[in-house]
Amino acid sequence: MALSGIQIYKMLPKTNCKDCGFPTCLAFAMKLAAKQVELSLCPHVSEESQAALSASAAPPIRLVTLSSNGHEVKAGNEVVLFRHEKTFYHRPGLFVRVKDNEGLDQIKEKVAEADAYQVTYVGIDLALDGFAIEAVSGEPGAFAEAVAAVRATTERPLVLISSDPDSIAAGLEAAETTGTLIYGAGQDNWETMVVLAKEHKASLALSADSLEELAELTDKVKAAGVEDLVIDPGTRDFSASLSYATQIRRLALKKNFSQLGYPIIVFPGESTGPEQESMLAAQAIAKYAGFIILDHFSAETVYPLLVLRENIYTDPQKPIQVQPGLYEINGPSAEDPLLVTTNFSITYFSVANEVEGAGLPAWLLVTDAEGMSVLTAWAAGKFDAERIAKDVKQFKVAEKVDHRHMVIPGHVAVISGELEEELPEWKIRVGPRESVDLPIFLKQAL
Amino acid sequence: MPIEFVKDSWPGTVRTVTIGATSADGGTRTSTVTVGGQKALPFMHFEAETPYSPVVAIEILDRRPDNWSPLLSETWGEVMDDPAAWAKAAEEAGADMLQLTLSATNSEGKETEPEEAVASVKAVLAATGLPLIVFGPGQAELDNVLLVPIADATKGERLLLGICEDKNYRTIVAAAMANDHLVNARSPMDVNLAKQLNILISDMSMPLDRVIMDPTTGALGYGIEYGYSAMERLRLAALQGDAMTQLPMLVTPGFEAWKTKESKVGEDVPEEWGNWMERAINWETLTAIALLESGADILVLRHPESVRRVKVAIADLMTVPELA
Amino acid sequence: MAQHSVSFDVASEASTVPTGTLLTEAAQQAGVEIDQPCGGQGRCGRCMVQVTDGDVRRRSTLRLSNKDVTKGFALACQSVVESDVVIAVPPQKKVERRLSTDRTVAKVTVPTGYDYLQDQIIRRINLDLRPPSMDDQIDDWNRLQTALRREPFLVFADKGSSESGQFPPQLEISLPLMREIGRTLREASWQVSAILEINSQPDGKPAVARLIDLQAGHVDEDVPLWAVAIDIGTTTVTIWLVDLKTGEVVTQVAEYNGQISRGEDVISRIIFASKNGGSDEMRRLILKTVNALVKRACKRAKCESEKIMKATVAGNSTMMHLLLGLPAESIRLMPFVTTVNSPPALRAEDIGLAIHPEATIDCLPGVASYVGADISAGVLSSGMDDDQEVSLFLDIGTNGETVLGSHEWLVTCACSAGPAFEGAGVLHGMRATRGAIEEVWINSRSFEPNFRVIGDAKPRGLCGSGLISLLAELFLTGLLDKAGNFNSSRPTKRIRRGEHGLEYVIAWSEETQNREDIVITHVDVDNLLRAKAAIYAGFTVLADGVGYPLEEVEQVLIGGAFGKYINVEKAVEIGLLPDLPWERFHFLGNTSVQGAYLALLDREARNRIQDIAGRMTYIELSADNSFYDAFTSALFLPHTDLDLFPSVVKELKKLEI
Repeated sequence: MALSGIQIYKMLPKTNCKDCGFPTCLAFAMKLAAKQVELSLCPHVSEESQAALSASAAPPIRLVTLSSNGHEVKAGNEVVLFRHEKTFYHRPGLFVRVKDNEGLDQIKEKVAEADAYQVTYVGIDLALDGFAIEAVSGEPGAFAEAVAAVRATTERPLVLISSDPDSIAAGLEAAETTGTLIYGAGQDNWETMVVLAKEHKASLALSADSLEELAELTDKVKAAGVEDLVIDPGTRDFSASLSYATQIRRLALKKNFSQLGYPIIVFPGESTGPEQESMLAAQAIAKYAGFIILDHFSAETVYPLLVLRENIYTDPQKPIQVQPGLYEINGPSAEDPLLVTTNFSITYFSVANEVEGAGLPAWLLVTDAEGMSVLTAWAAGKFDAERIAKDVKQFKVAEKVDHRHMVIPGHVAVISGELEEELPEWKIRVGPRESVDLPIFLKQAL
Repeated sequence: MPIEFVKDSWPGTVRTVTIGATSADGGTRTSTVTVGGQKALPFMHFEAETPYSPVVAIEILDRRPDNWSPLLSETWGEVMDDPAAWAKAAEEAGADMLQLTLSATNSEGKETEPEEAVASVKAVLAATGLPLIVFGPGQAELDNVLLVPIADATKGERLLLGICEDKNYRTIVAAAMANDHLVNARSPMDVNLAKQLNILISDMSMPLDRVIMDPTTGALGYGIEYGYSAMERLRLAALQGDAMTQLPMLVTPGFEAWKTKESKVGEDVPEEWGNWMERAINWETLTAIALLESGADILVLRHPESVRRVKVAIADLMTVPELA
Repeated sequence: MAQHSVSFDVASEASTVPTGTLLTEAAQQAGVEIDQPCGGQGRCGRCMVQVTDGDVRRRSTLRLSNKDVTKGFALACQSVVESDVVIAVPPQKKVERRLSTDRTVAKVTVPTGYDYLQDQIIRRINLDLRPPSMDDQIDDWNRLQTALRREPFLVFADKGSSESGQFPPQLEISLPLMREIGRTLREASWQVSAILEINSQPDGKPAVARLIDLQAGHVDEDVPLWAVAIDIGTTTVTIWLVDLKTGEVVTQVAEYNGQISRGEDVISRIIFASKNGGSDEMRRLILKTVNALVKRACKRAKCESEKIMKATVAGNSTMMHLLLGLPAESIRLMPFVTTVNSPPALRAEDIGLAIHPEATIDCLPGVASYVGADISAGVLSSGMDDDQEVSLFLDIGTNGETVLGSHEWLVTCACSAGPAFEGAGVLHGMRATRGAIEEVWINSRSFEPNFRVIGDAKPRGLCGSGLISLLAELFLTGLLDKAGNFNSSRPTKRIRRGEHGLEYVIAWSEETQNREDIVITHVDVDNLLRAKAAIYAGFTVLADGVGYPLEEVEQVLIGGAFGKYINVEKAVEIGLLPDLPWERFHFLGNTSVQGAYLALLDREARNRIQDIAGRMTYIELSADNSFYDAFTSALFLPHTDLDLFPSVVKELKKLEI
């Protein structure tokens, strides 16, 4: 159970010695409660408290890391069921699957294309995390060749799929690197798979016919010495997948049911065609998947999935921001007025809604004020003449509007002089202090 | 040792809301849509029965829109010039209900007159028997001018009227109350603001089983996470027993997704975005799926292919799995 | 660059300025005084002037009606010169001179058990020195020290630690005083009275005594030993003149902070101070206020200001910085850090305080940029730091500071509530002086108001308490909905559409001092809602942050000058204060000056304040989203979560029937 700041404080020395780097023991306790710092920063905590506190801090879902050649993909360590409660930490890994009977050239071509895929979203470069190779030929040699072909094409982590230990063994040899995920072990083959996983420092995915059997299996495998486990509840549709994923997350978080405290692997492409695959993958991103194995690669599908993953895994505790930029309201012409505000989402929405609601065309320059409202940003020096001027240039405002009049929020009338100095071609007009007065201002004053 | 599944038991229930009235109930609709009634989080069938499936509405306009993506114009074609024909086409495309958006100006560029708006609504009602959502152009004054006569002229149809916002709700709520319609309460992606508007509407003595809340959303890539979490929080609050959040939710992923550059534009975009059409459909469906998972009851979409796909997903999500 | 001539009707000579010069700058150059209470931000409209010839470019016309603009009016701080102009400056309204509370204050009780010899670190000691002789050529300073060391009064008979009393103190003296002692000793024929400040040291080291003054002759024991407790508020400066011998507060004086003309809130002042010469100007203004108050207090008590031997100062961190001439800019900029939270002891002469030049100025310790010494002092005077039960301490003002805690722990935060409750940023808002409406009642059927005005005068505007009660009444009578929208469908002509949207008329022009309607606009309501939401959100986030349920708070202590006037019932109705039983609320008045007074009297209290500042855990509200969430939730009447306000729900139900 999570402890409150006061509860943790009572277990600390209460000396306010500042050795942890925080001004008071309570400040440190609150950071601990928010899981933002480690208890080890306090050199004076008693052993008794240490034991009590670390129990409450143990992650209920094991962190599993797949890696190769410096690439890493982590899943697990999640602490909440809903992102607003804290945040989701580890983006589910997105993998593309090839099969060993597809022909080596085709495999190489497919992998090369997906491996090279990179797309930029709000300044972040997004890419896939790795590849899965499935043994369908039934011949360990053919599988090893396929794995070798993939390994020669990509440096990213791999998932090897087969229930045949011989194929997996051959594949692991061909994969060369450690940090691979073996899929998978079941009731019949887990003992051999465990040996392979240990030998190649691989993680192991387990599947069983029911959650109960799955839980028993993770226990056995863990006892045999492999702890980096991934579980497959076996569902391939929307409804059952959602129910199982939710149950597994709830059991781990709410019941501390450690036998199922592992990341989940899903195969959205196995149910139907690529149309369903993207929607199922979307559900998996939102609802608790750790590793997602896609059967189809296309830019038009992977791009929205990568974006969705960024969105869902955005830290909701950060102030809600809109993208800085020059926004069009009601299809403005080059003659229409230019308004400036900050990128705090509520500020943006109030301004945009008032103007939009009044049916008035205008340009709205949303500056990067680190997500603060006008007055706060100004007070903190994040919405000053310099920053506005920079964004006027950066977003090429002068190319979009013909006039040189800028309306700034009434709350920051004081910066109009400095702004005119920063932007000598522009005339500054001070707008109203409240967005509700904008329509009248735009109609009357401009 | 058999696993004991974690089943939350919630004290609260989402209200059941019916849109549209058949002749037996004083309207002219041939079908109605009932949403809500959940006693658990979306599709947690192991916890409680989901009495009503989420539904898909298709958005149509009273005239050919000026700024819709060419992909949509190509798909719908000529019906866009006639709201009645468009309504029929949308019904054929599988819509459970229709959402008619009134334009601020008519095709001649003049402000839409109340008579024109009433005529459009009546034409759509005559063309199909589906329940209808009517949204004003989204400008407070004009919305009121257009929606009041529409509410009067369609008394008893149980239309869902919008856009009802905290700065402009009295007129629409009063018109809906007087004419047996419902209102769509829209608030900007914030759990508190959504609840506040419901309180304000309820304070006017509007029965809450005639209110749908519209917490708004951003499209995929454009703030969907805010709408997503606002909806999850609203639904959690409802199940925890907060009467002022126990309303079914409507969202407009079609409007949001087709506004984005990814869907709207096919030229001069990065190559990594892939095939335009498929990307646009993905944009709309993925936005819709994420919102479905977070509690949407009514999804308003634009493209027939998205409607088809999302309906398949909904049908699947409504099946009750056997947990083991 | 083109030059233009700007003539002011009140100045003999025109000034010549380049294109783009602000009218306020041109006025300054011409020696014309134009008030800028908002610090030149174009917010207050007080710098309105009339352009009688030529024209200026108005960057902002906020606070001006269209009619005003047609008549040539412009805001001097927002208008730039682009051609030759002639300007008429209306008579400047002076800030109301005297606070209404100044002479009517209640007498302060001396803390029970105050013992000058036990508690006070300022000592006056009569000495008889053996004159020097050829046999005794010990130097003057040594002679004085020896005499002092013999004094038993210099050693504390200690309450707690037995250590500090064991050794005679080590003595210190400043060079200017050293220059004087020889003459004083001889002129007084070796019979003198010494004033010392004794500070005990940690770890049993000998105490340090500093000689502050050496006066000729002996002084009777019952002659007062003067000192002052000072609270420098953003709006008001308060000084208590204290006789340290008895502990009695002999006189209390208060005056508006002279910096108001350069900005009403701390942010405006920081900005002003960061401009060229602004810091010196701010320092000069506050010293002027403080020194004038000292003079006034001395006049009343018939003492000389040079006889004041100590000053203990409380105030928010910005005021402290501006007083000491420290750069304040970093207080406002992220990551919001001060130059110093706990300034060392300073000399009056160095600061520029017109009391005894050697007097110690003890600036009390603060916690953070926005939780200053005024709050540490407030916590001390409230006693919450010593209480087993958990209390909530609120200082409601421009910055709403909150402290939650007990003897075990203390957390604090500050939220920018804005000056709405002080009457600023509200169209007809004003301070609580003569002519201010301080309470309003609205008839729930006729919607006609009734109000009480301060000082038996015609109303001129609304002060904070008037605004709170007006807001509550508008809400309870259904004139405002829970979101603060006016309900125009109510049958009253008092709700009408004005320049800022819908508004409610409290007083018609014929009833008012200024012959204009007193109204509250939709924008005013929004401002007030935001202010109350910020304060409410502040303490809810604080309580959530440490995981302490607000409803379990044993007492709510309300400090700050504003606290005196709040009507709890109304404040709960609008959701400014939590819905707790009324007996849990206690109004403490100006806790900042009270704390300074306690610290001035009692060395133990002074130590305690240091301890309070050290263990108060500051929570930065801008660090995550929880404040914003709590804020939007509180941005409703009384609150989005009605379950938090059961008494208001009951009240509303009653009104429906």
